[in-house]
Amino acid sequence: MPHERITMERQTLRVLMVTPGLDGHWRGKVAVSTALRDAGMEVIYGGNMEPHEIAEVAIQEDVDVIGLSILSAAHLRLIELTLQAMEEKGVRDISVVVGGTILEEDVPVLKEMGIVEVFGPGTPMEEIVSFFQNL
Amino acid sequence: MEREFISNSGIEIKEVYSPGDLPEFDYDGDLGMPGAPPFTRGIYKNMYRGKMWSIRRYSGSGTPEETNKLYKTELEIGQTGLSIAVDHPTSCGFDSDNPKAVAEVGVAGVSIDSLLDMEIMFDGISLEKVATAIISGPFPSAPLTAMYFVMAEKQGIDLKQLRGTSYNDVMGVGGYLWRPDQVSPRHQLRIIVDCIEWCSQVAPRWHPVNFDSYNYREQGITAVQELGMLLANAIGYIEEEKHRGKIPVDNFIRSFAFNMGAHNDFFEEIAKFRAARRMWYTISKDRYGTKDPKCWQFRLHVQSSGCTHTTQEPYNNLIRVAYQVLGAVLGGAQSVHGNSYDEGLCLPTEESMLLSIRTEQILQHETNVINTVDPLGGSYYIESLTNEIEKRAWEYIEKIERVGGIVSAIESGWIQGEFKQAFLEHERRMNSGEVEVVGVNLFKLPKEPYKVPIFRPNFKAPDIQIEKLKRIKKERDSSKVSQALKDLREATLDGENIMPAVTEAVKNYATVGEISDVWREALGTWECPMKG
Repeated sequence: MPHERITMERQTLRVLMVTPGLDGHWRGKVAVSTALRDAGMEVIYGGNMEPHEIAEVAIQEDVDVIGLSILSAAHLRLIELTLQAMEEKGVRDISVVVGGTILEEDVPVLKEMGIVEVFGPGTPMEEIVSFFQNL
Repeated sequence: MEREFISNSGIEIKEVYSPGDLPEFDYDGDLGMPGAPPFTRGIYKNMYRGKMWSIRRYSGSGTPEETNKLYKTELEIGQTGLSIAVDHPTSCGFDSDNPKAVAEVGVAGVSIDSLLDMEIMFDGISLEKVATAIISGPFPSAPLTAMYFVMAEKQGIDLKQLRGTSYNDVMGVGGYLWRPDQVSPRHQLRIIVDCIEWCSQVAPRWHPVNFDSYNYREQGITAVQELGMLLANAIGYIEEEKHRGKIPVDNFIRSFAFNMGAHNDFFEEIAKFRAARRMWYTISKDRYGTKDPKCWQFRLHVQSSGCTHTTQEPYNNLIRVAYQVLGAVLGGAQSVHGNSYDEGLCLPTEESMLLSIRTEQILQHETNVINTVDPLGGSYYIESLTNEIEKRAWEYIEKIERVGGIVSAIESGWIQGEFKQAFLEHERRMNSGEVEVVGVNLFKLPKEPYKVPIFRPNFKAPDIQIEKLKRIKKERDSSKVSQALKDLREATLDGENIMPAVTEAVKNYATVGEISDVWREALGTWECPMKG
């Protein structure tokens, strides 16, 4: 059965922040999680998860956005697998945002796959926060 | 607002330093000659005149076959040591055919599943001539070390002469980063100390542990915190062995090795390396009563700081690396890795690898910086900074001991809290412009001026590795493998030293994943307290 989001208007944005796969870097995702919380959003910090777990937790937690933090160079494959898992669970209306060491030439590829925005190293935090606020 | 002059660690820097800044200066007590206590000036009498520092890049990618070629290229260019970078699945103790490994086999390092991979990776490389550092998560450190030893014996090398380093740093279990499905830091330390005890007997010239503060300096902490955590970590290991009482403390400590970062604050970093040597001497000799001078020497590998790199204008990183490597050398390192300029974007290309090796070679052969030992020794500024770093690092060690030592500090989340506070503060200072980064928040150009070549990992690596795994599992003696894994399980549960069983297992081509699974089942897995 496809997953149906509760469409009730909500004041606070709910975000799942997570790294797909095994890469242990956490500095970026913890910093962004903290900044989003400081801006009044609810952040579920997922640590590391497999793609299917990300889809499951996103449903259980009823999030509006998934933030994927990737620094492993395996972003194309990991994002593809995550989007596939979401598709299989029937998740359609959750935006996926990516942050990390993503090559500039990969950004159009990711957007084509359905990623709404990609934030590379050195992006000012305000820029990330205001993007989430305007989602 | 008037500009403040403050070091990275928050030490206020004066306009000029003079004898008044070293009121109780005692040359013999504070510095001594190089190669003599307290080793502030260096651990060897003639330092680089006698032995140049090793150029040792941390590298590896894709399959062991590709990495074998990479290592041969590095040695041909004139690199003098090797350092194995394994991929995330290997670091977590997962084989290439584990569903969790699917996207990351051979991506951020080389994939090693079994002894066969280790043998392929070192095919045609003499282990007698090259000392290798095996860098991985702490979890697979023991099986990878055992594989290297088995391979060396097959090459006819006497393990008593074998040189190299195992990672074995407990801080890699949720201290500075998180890897899923690992055993707790306490259990990890047990495996590590077994490995150290075993190495001290079978391969006494091998460095069985590499206390590695490079990785957590990258979290944004200061030079003082880095040094304090590093030494508190080593103290934690010695306390564990003292508690066990299995081997004399001298034998346990004799081959310890250390790995620090070289950050941007040039003189403070040099002072940090000098303070580290003096402090280690005090810990080893005064606190633990060691008698062998080898136990007093702080053997140091330094890596230039990856977190100071920018993806904007990546060629600027070449300049950053050159300064940092110079700092490492003026600070007396035994082995150095200058990062490649493109590491904020991808794994190094052949071109960027060549440049990083050349950076060190130019320093060694063209600048004459090696001509005299500790050239900055005696500078009022450097000596004053060395004293101040030392004083503050002792205070920080006390702080860690007050929360129960390093293992408790990891398990309780205290350490992770320190990192979080540090990188959030760095983030704030970056945004406010208090930290200036050229090309990022200072002199930023409207458009990226450079297009640099990009390295792409071999996306066929998983298939190649899985195929090899299938073949090994078919060809090996499966009854010997199950017996060895059963023995390992028993040794793990009975508190016996695990290394004889690990060695027997890897000899029979048991995989890193199979060995790690024994520990996961016998000891249970652990959740890291870093909760974002």
